[in-house]
Amino acid sequence: MKAVGARLPRYDGIAHVTGRTVFVDDVRVPGSLWVKALRSPVHRATITGLDTSKAEAMSGVHAVITWKDVPLLEYGHLSALGIPADEPLLAKDDVRYKGQPIALVAAADEETAMAAVEAIALDLDEQPALFDIRKAFDPDAPVIHQWGNWYPHFEAEMDKRQIRKGDIERAFDAADVVVQGVYRPAAIEHVPIETQSCQVVPEANGRLTIYSCTQALYFSLGVVAAHLQLPLNKLKLVGGTVGGGFGGKVDTATETMCCLLALKSGRPVRWRWTREEEFLCSSTRAPWHMEIADAVTKDGWILGRKMLTLHDSGAYARFSPYGLTKHSFHHTGAYTIPNLHFDGYVVFTNRVPTTAMRGFGVTSISFATETHTSRVAETLGIDPWELRLKNANRVGDTSPNGVAYTDPSTVPVVKALAEGMGVELPAGLKAMTRDPREGDLLPEHLVAQVGNPEDH
Amino acid sequence: MNLTVNGVTRELESGPLTTLLDVLREELETTSPKAGCEQGGCGACTVLVDGEPRRACLTVAAAVDGSSVTTAEGLGSPDGLAPVQAAFTHHYAAQCGFCTSGMMMAAQAYLDAGGTDDREAIQEALAGHVCRCTGYVKIIDAVAAAARGDSFDLSVTAPSAGMVNLGGVK
Amino acid sequence: MAVHKGRGVAAIEYPTGMNQNGDPSQAWIKVKPDGRIDVFAGTSDIGNGSKTIQSQIVAETIGVPYDWITYDNSNTDSSPVCTGTFASRATFVAGKAVEKAAANVRSKILEIAGKELEIDPSDLDIVDGEVVAKGAPQKKISVPDVAGAATWGYGELITGVGAQLKPYATIVDPETGRVDLPPHSAISYAACAAEVEVDDETGVVTVTRLWQCYDVGLAINPTLVEGQIEGGAMQGLGLGVLENCYPYYPSVEHRGSQFGAYLAPSTEDMPQIDTIIIENPSADGPYGAKGIGEMANNAQPPAIAAAVHDAIGVWVTELPITPEKVLRALEAKEAGAAGPRREGKKVVFDEELSVNTVSSGGMRFEVPA
Repeated sequence: MKAVGARLPRYDGIAHVTGRTVFVDDVRVPGSLWVKALRSPVHRATITGLDTSKAEAMSGVHAVITWKDVPLLEYGHLSALGIPADEPLLAKDDVRYKGQPIALVAAADEETAMAAVEAIALDLDEQPALFDIRKAFDPDAPVIHQWGNWYPHFEAEMDKRQIRKGDIERAFDAADVVVQGVYRPAAIEHVPIETQSCQVVPEANGRLTIYSCTQALYFSLGVVAAHLQLPLNKLKLVGGTVGGGFGGKVDTATETMCCLLALKSGRPVRWRWTREEEFLCSSTRAPWHMEIADAVTKDGWILGRKMLTLHDSGAYARFSPYGLTKHSFHHTGAYTIPNLHFDGYVVFTNRVPTTAMRGFGVTSISFATETHTSRVAETLGIDPWELRLKNANRVGDTSPNGVAYTDPSTVPVVKALAEGMGVELPAGLKAMTRDPREGDLLPEHLVAQVGNPEDH
Repeated sequence: MNLTVNGVTRELESGPLTTLLDVLREELETTSPKAGCEQGGCGACTVLVDGEPRRACLTVAAAVDGSSVTTAEGLGSPDGLAPVQAAFTHHYAAQCGFCTSGMMMAAQAYLDAGGTDDREAIQEALAGHVCRCTGYVKIIDAVAAAARGDSFDLSVTAPSAGMVNLGGVK
Repeated sequence: MAVHKGRGVAAIEYPTGMNQNGDPSQAWIKVKPDGRIDVFAGTSDIGNGSKTIQSQIVAETIGVPYDWITYDNSNTDSSPVCTGTFASRATFVAGKAVEKAAANVRSKILEIAGKELEIDPSDLDIVDGEVVAKGAPQKKISVPDVAGAATWGYGELITGVGAQLKPYATIVDPETGRVDLPPHSAISYAACAAEVEVDDETGVVTVTRLWQCYDVGLAINPTLVEGQIEGGAMQGLGLGVLENCYPYYPSVEHRGSQFGAYLAPSTEDMPQIDTIIIENPSADGPYGAKGIGEMANNAQPPAIAAAVHDAIGVWVTELPITPEKVLRALEAKEAGAAGPRREGKKVVFDEELSVNTVSSGGMRFEVPA
């Protein structure tokens, strides 16, 4: 092969090093207006008054938009996957997180835009907020979302994501030891060096050209078109060159807001988020709360896992139900555990809505299961390499939701890691492969879960 | 006020308190320095002012009246890359490219001041520059290579030291 | 007052493609009259290098030099659908669409070359921009000449389209989670070992070394693979020991709004990174490649947590593992309060964090036996 496998230079490498790569905010459109947002200063409140008249009357202000200007105010980004809409593009009756956008201004320059934002009269009636997902289910918790404090629209209108496999009671009965732990990875920021940026140009033929930093041109096209109630060919998204995304430039909203301002003012508009907005108002990786109880044997077999996950979705659902579902499908990590009882909830809090970030749904599992597995090894006094290799997925083993693995590579990567770092594994472990289980590697409790890798 | 940018002297229309970043990006349409944070915290706006690295977001126009500014566009061109640009290309030190301009200007300043290929010294010199994509390894590789005066085959990119490919493993 | 060293290991897996699939990518390619190749795909390059990888796939599949490829992903008028650059799908799913389009272009080139050379297309190959007869390399025609013949001889546009879509896997039983089809395009695997130094006086955890092993299926561009692994390592390190939107989670107070208050990893945080890749080709990916983009930051936090325990005998299971958490854990250990509660065969860690302790009954985690 010539091109595949070769260490060829980046397609856009020369442009990067000569400073010529064009990112969204590098595009120059004459006559562009600056955009600034009015954002909620509090975590939770009812909006009792919103008066934009002073801002609209200011010299240099070309457009101010609120929820009234949005043709379809609420659109579920993943409605095709059955996740209903719950979030207004711009706040209407209430605000549910500090930083939530309420109104936007397009003005001749940055200072005027900021002054106009200050001139918008906003009256809020603050409400008690909810921040701890563990307390969201308590009878005295404030109810902060129209659906209740946790997402109730999984299939069959279930209010949790559930995985059941085998016989959990029997597994815990048969166990020699049960190891329990709680795992709480934090919300972190994507921190792309390019902050959220957008420019929209109203074209002579009535179309809108949208310079977007989205990670997903067509996904964003669909979202904007839905909010604006326009066919896809009325919009042209220009982009594909992003200054870092990591999952944070998918939950499209900036583009829609800029389109509305461009339509209302008849002028090109430009919005570049400040780094403060990026740190404080942009969607984050989700915090997770995971409780694991593993039923294990003295010789290191994981017989069963009972698990509870609470996924902190922040103020709105966005992609959280999808992330939790993915999480549930992978909650055994790299291991074959035949008896499972998983319950997961998407829980609302009054913080910035959480979204996808590199590893969405599974980063949390990796942290929880692997730390837990290390703990199990230590508790049982078993070599952590042996525990992992023994329980590792093999061809024909089945996933939490019953799908047979066709080419699991846990055994190879663990052995290669050991080799690469100079850890000499005992012969028995070195001889292990990912081939279907047999003999000592197929104890009775794993027989029933074996599936057919051809079914795929 | 006037400013010489990449060898071209211009009379400025911007006010004296306009940041050098805005003068470059908005008035002079030199967009390689980026508005990564406008807090002085990320380094993506770094340019050379009379040869010294400066954060353009924290520098006001009045303070650089009459100075000579070099940006990434001025370091070299596609057919005549500066050593640091060639190094960044060959060592794959740029992924999304957004931090690259500022990173290279800081690297150029380090090299101009006689910086060597000592990795710790390079890490210290670039400690105030945030990159989210690369994990910095290849950036350090590139600056070290430039410091050594390596020549670069631009038709190919260099491996990271110590990378091992074990092929198929059962 | 000492610095303690420790090591920890983690093994992970990660799905490629959107969960439950149903995420299409498409591409179309046209050939210019001089044989240069124009690729139109909708995949955003967020730094991962998808423009590069997809161009390499096209060059390889057609059989022309890499620098003959022009790649345009710039807008939704000319580019067809790509669901997006996430779910580690830019190489595996989107790259597959591009490969299919390129294969169609290759067939078309061979068809026209076959007419020109009067040789059956199945007896022809394309190498380095030339169509050659297998076993008789003196019988050849350049791709530019084929393209010219198409344009001015046959009146044809050489073009190819490709689309990749794995059907949506429905959850057929929401009580168990069972699906009717595999809910992923593929699964990728990795393992990581971390070496840390923990200062028991300051609580600071320094990650000194990360060994990382990834099964990449086939490295379409090994340099770009290294870039993902190294970039992911630093993000994983940040997730493990440095970064937190909410330093006093679940409180929303004291959020960092600047670099320096929010601790994104810097060059000063770099451990020694040792990268090991293995290549067990995938069944369905382009040239056997597997996805890597996301899982690159998943294995470090648990490896670091295990390494911290190895170093100082405490488990910190709330990320990031900050000096405060380390010092509090050490204090609890000194006071004899750090170990798990043992009850029969149960070994119960972290009770103070559990819903059983914190909620007033609204949520409980009950463990059988």
